[in-house]
Amino acid sequence: MRISTIAFANLKRRKGKAMFLAAGIGIGIGTVVALLSLSGSLREEIGSQLDRFGANIVITPHSDNLSLDYGGIQVAGVSFDQQRLTIDDAAAVYRIPYRKRLSVVAPKLLGTIEVEGRRSLLAGVDFQKEMRLKRWWQINGRVPEKSDEVLLGYDVAKAVSAVHSSPGRGDGGGQTPGHHSAIEERIHIAKERLAIAGREHRIAGVLGQTGGPEDRMIFASLEHVQTLLAKPGELSVIEVSALCKDCPVEDIVVQIRKALPHVNVAAVQQSVRARTEAVDRLTRFSAVVSVVVLVIGALLVFTTMMSSVVERTKEIGVLRAIGFRRTHIIKSLMIEVVVISAAGGMGGWIAGLSASRLALPYFTENGAQIEWRASLAVLAIAAAMLIGIVSSAYPAIRASRLDPSEAVRYA
Amino acid sequence: MSFLIAENVSKTYSDRDSQTEVSVLHNVNVGIAEGEFVCLMGPSGSGKSTLLTILGAMNHPSQGRLLIDGIDVYALSDERRADFRAQYLGFVFQQHHLLPFLSAVENVMLPLATLPLKASEKRCKALDVMEKVGLGGKASRLPSQLSGGEQGRLAIARAIVNDPPLLLADEPTGTLDTRTGDEIMRVFLDLNGRGQTLFMVTHNPTNAALAHRVLHIRDGRLDGEAGDCWRTARIGTNGTQAALPQFAPPLCHPEHNRTSDAAIRECRNLDAELQ
Repeated sequence: MRISTIAFANLKRRKGKAMFLAAGIGIGIGTVVALLSLSGSLREEIGSQLDRFGANIVITPHSDNLSLDYGGIQVAGVSFDQQRLTIDDAAAVYRIPYRKRLSVVAPKLLGTIEVEGRRSLLAGVDFQKEMRLKRWWQINGRVPEKSDEVLLGYDVAKAVSAVHSSPGRGDGGGQTPGHHSAIEERIHIAKERLAIAGREHRIAGVLGQTGGPEDRMIFASLEHVQTLLAKPGELSVIEVSALCKDCPVEDIVVQIRKALPHVNVAAVQQSVRARTEAVDRLTRFSAVVSVVVLVIGALLVFTTMMSSVVERTKEIGVLRAIGFRRTHIIKSLMIEVVVISAAGGMGGWIAGLSASRLALPYFTENGAQIEWRASLAVLAIAAAMLIGIVSSAYPAIRASRLDPSEAVRYA
Repeated sequence: MSFLIAENVSKTYSDRDSQTEVSVLHNVNVGIAEGEFVCLMGPSGSGKSTLLTILGAMNHPSQGRLLIDGIDVYALSDERRADFRAQYLGFVFQQHHLLPFLSAVENVMLPLATLPLKASEKRCKALDVMEKVGLGGKASRLPSQLSGGEQGRLAIARAIVNDPPLLLADEPTGTLDTRTGDEIMRVFLDLNGRGQTLFMVTHNPTNAALAHRVLHIRDGRLDGEAGDCWRTARIGTNGTQAALPQFAPPLCHPEHNRTSDAAIRECRNLDAELQ
């Protein structure tokens, strides 16, 4: 016979109440576990989607003359570079310590060029990398494969009468996956060739309207543009997409600056901020809901324990009368609460994870998985026990303060 | 030298409704010697239970002090007083107050739960005491599976398992029929015969007649003390002073080799005769 014997006997005796309490705690903990698991997965998915949503670091040469604008970022002027950015710099980016977190390093050479009597912006790109970077691009036709093939921005294509369009349903003939509206403009390439800087080029594809600077650009292979602009090995900008779910983009920026001290390296604050905000909102939402649920759980434990103490006034009085200290009474009640809470926490972890695994496909698209993590189980049980102990503290202290003579006489 | 001394004990409760003070005990003085069996009688509301709980170190008196074995009980802290109860006192409640979800032997072991003894030692001790009170072989029964008399004996077993120097009982036969009540009193007398100091609150003059001394309380004041059982029985029945001294020595003093059965029988006869 120990104090724990009394506690366990009491649990056995009040199985229904104990199970109800454990279920209450389990529901609370389960909700929190499910919320945390789901929001964790959603955070990862949002993070990876935002990481895929274009570059978050831009490398440009030092320059005094910034006359052209590219994607809201002022790109170094084409003609007054003080420090040149070269293809070797792009290679150097891959040597930073955080290189494994780099998703895409897309070098570009930009320049203005005459196209059928208009000045247009010509971009030399590595199409393979560019396509990974600009996943929202919809190409009507195909990605250029040869050096004399070009990809026209929507406005440029219209200006040179390379396309005519009609409203229609479908994916617009795009080759790349992306988000499509149900009704899109169907683009028909009306022209096969285009003279750029006096040389004939084949129009491989036309970009669907993006609303961005791409609409006013012509894309060709990097080497070809370097030749056309007579800037061999030279670059205007390097766009970097860093998979930076767990690390600050700023750290990568610092490392690139160290590797390339002669150039400008800037984090695209807008994308970083948007990503951080989205993730923060989710985190805040989960935290608020979790706190509310846990407070409700704590109140449930509190009221149940209070009624339990009232119900057991006589029993507690007898124990006090025969020599149980206040601490013995508290210990006995706390053993019960800890056992119930631990069971509730364990049940909540299983239920919460099961529910979140079942619900996950309805919230995410990339087939994310929720793992059975033992660390979360430990956390869930610890949290349940903490809630149990904290919310039972007052009822237990109150029980221990019962006057034994009154409790025994009037119960 | 008394083993228990209550000096000028008073108890006042404050009535929250009327915001007045209700005085329950007034300057009560009690002394109990080791091995003595003392009964306390009095009408309902006279302060019997209050005095019992004060003597039982459960109810702080408003005034006065309680010395048991030379220890000023109410000078102890609450936790130390709990230890004192565990070590010095055994309680038998009127309703027995057995824990219904524990087996008979577990109920008996309750006062040992907080002591640093081996589980087997606790169990042996409890079984030994159960054997003494005639409950051998009923260790695994739940209280609800025992008769009223057995429940009473179980409550006594629980009260004496820690070998308390002082046993306190609050109307232990109050809810029992005569035969079962006799059964319980027999156990008390046997214990007292072995030297157990006993203080019992009772309404039953027959039971009181078995004590060495009977204290009477009225309106919170001790107003008389009967030294012999025959006098008690007499006062308890018709209030006259018809003396039957020939019964007194064998009934009232352990040194006269009375047996509990004989004592109960004789007291019951005496009571019937007086009525």
